[in-house]
Amino acid sequence: MSQEAAPHHRRRAAALGLGLLALSLALLAIIVLSMTTGARAIPLDTVWRALIAADPTATEHRIIWDLRLPRTLVGVMVGLALGLAGAVLQGATRNPLADPAILGIHSGAALFVVLGVAVLGLTQLSQYVWLAFAGAGAAMLVVYSVASLGREGATPIKLALAGAAITAVLQSIISAILLTSPRTLDEVRFWQVGSLAGRSMDIALQVCPFIAAGIVLALSVARLLDGLSMGEDVARALGQRVGLSRALAGLAAVILAGAATAAAGPIAFVGLTVPHVARAITGPSYRWILPYSMLMAPILLLGADIIGRVIAPPGEVQVGIVTAFLGAPFFIALVRRRKLAAL
Amino acid sequence: MLSRRLTALLALSGLALAAPVAAEPWIYSDGAGQTVALDEVPQRIIASQDAAAGLIPLGIRPVGIYADGPIADAKALQGLDLSGIEIIGQAWGEVDIEKAAALEPDLVIAEYWPLDKAWSGGEKVEVALSYLAPITGVTQGASILTLIEDYEALAQSLGADLSAPQIAADKAEFSAALDAFKAAAAAKPDLTVLAVWAGADALYVAATAGSAELVDFKSWGLKLIDPEIADDRGYWETLSWENADKYQPDLIIVDNRSPTTIETARSQPTWTLMKAAAAGQVADWPAFWLRNYRHYALALNDLTTAIKAADAGLAP
Repeated sequence: MSQEAAPHHRRRAAALGLGLLALSLALLAIIVLSMTTGARAIPLDTVWRALIAADPTATEHRIIWDLRLPRTLVGVMVGLALGLAGAVLQGATRNPLADPAILGIHSGAALFVVLGVAVLGLTQLSQYVWLAFAGAGAAMLVVYSVASLGREGATPIKLALAGAAITAVLQSIISAILLTSPRTLDEVRFWQVGSLAGRSMDIALQVCPFIAAGIVLALSVARLLDGLSMGEDVARALGQRVGLSRALAGLAAVILAGAATAAAGPIAFVGLTVPHVARAITGPSYRWILPYSMLMAPILLLGADIIGRVIAPPGEVQVGIVTAFLGAPFFIALVRRRKLAAL
Repeated sequence: MLSRRLTALLALSGLALAAPVAAEPWIYSDGAGQTVALDEVPQRIIASQDAAAGLIPLGIRPVGIYADGPIADAKALQGLDLSGIEIIGQAWGEVDIEKAAALEPDLVIAEYWPLDKAWSGGEKVEVALSYLAPITGVTQGASILTLIEDYEALAQSLGADLSAPQIAADKAEFSAALDAFKAAAAAKPDLTVLAVWAGADALYVAATAGSAELVDFKSWGLKLIDPEIADDRGYWETLSWENADKYQPDLIIVDNRSPTTIETARSQPTWTLMKAAAAGQVADWPAFWLRNYRHYALALNDLTTAIKAADAGLAP
């Protein structure tokens, strides 16, 4: 049996490896597209010259460096983070609907930002970053503690229920603040939708180390997720410490989703949809699902952002709106086409 | 029973006696083309934030004000004495109707915006307040000066004494400020000016015709750049921040209704694609909120200073 299976496995691994290469090339292509597409028409050769020999006095070069480059970088990082966070959360909680929104991470970040604007009077994106981070961490901690109450500890179903309950509580507090403080609503309106516009290089640099750390941590728990996916008893029988695995995975997800939300606001559907597509291609192993999700999500996010940039000239449509618009029907199609692989 | 009737009769006769002493009926034709007629001059007035800004300096004090946002941020009410006035709304489209009813208003004074076909605060507020008292007010037009004159006529009909020394002093200060402004504009005939609002999503360039004070500035000799295309309602042209340098003025004036607008502008890397922004030739635009000579004089003085300091040869 094993002698027959081995070559098959090797062929499959080679095919999946090639797939990763193709995705990397696609990501590269969409990055180029993102650098060359925008409200202002800039010829390709000007973009190229701006990148290799920047002239800080040339208007076009400044637009490439000051607007499109940070926007593209933030888009890639947020995409990577959301895709990975979604996949890790789905694996760790064994819940196909787990994503940063359902586990309270988005609402926690949003509540802290709204409080920062309403109470501290903050108005600039760069000030939101740390608040969003703290809020995401705090919300995840509360959700995890609530889910851990009782004898069985934080089971997948309890995590999902606790997440939904905490999200509802946080959302009602956010609504209460926004309804009584129109000024706050006015300030956070654009942040709340989720957008890559207006993000400076500072924001990219602020979240970069966190996303890098989150990626390393997430990829290192892939094996643990594979163990968990066989059920807790099997994982335990294999000598895995289930609680620790979940905690590490949860930490990775909070760091990634927190950083993504901090940089771009709460963006829906990317973290939920992409891992399912990845799973449909790779099969159940998280050692493949994680890198696939990580490469596919920024392609989706940047693609959606590029569509948003050109769809409504001379203005723009926020990427959060486009991903929700693209994500929902896509997700429905996926559900209809095949039974989602059980986790 | 009998005694109660008697009391009623006595009260009625008392009223009848008082009636000839009461003031004459009060009639006012408003901007929406409606005429409001009351039996006597209204005493208890609820005013929109902008109407209050027009009336208070003329000596007419409303009993209640509803504002478009937090009262502390309302530019139009800055420096005005609001003591004893109940604030019954602090968000656009919202008014505390119980507080409003408790004030027992005789009249609601708002402003009519013909471009939007709406009263201050929007239709919801208009309908809610119309149950308490008739709504009337002046109309937004092509000049802040005519707006102020309309307020003077309205205030006079409500019993204001326009010969009060403070009113005369405000007016004198304004005409001095206006002369200085015209002289400064005339001294730099090539100076071009762009009026903008800055958001995190885009830069909004104002159409001159959409704002009465911009029309005034233009008529007083300031060379305002008019955007090529304005949106459906005629107020703005929306520019992606990638196209922030579509216009190159010598002086930028930024909508100062909210202090965060200029911060938002400065945080955009391409804000300084406009040479005027890079050179710091940026001033306040008192956008949509001027309603009296006192505020207008202060705003004009600030602009005059900015015009005098600006290098008119910045833009090609």
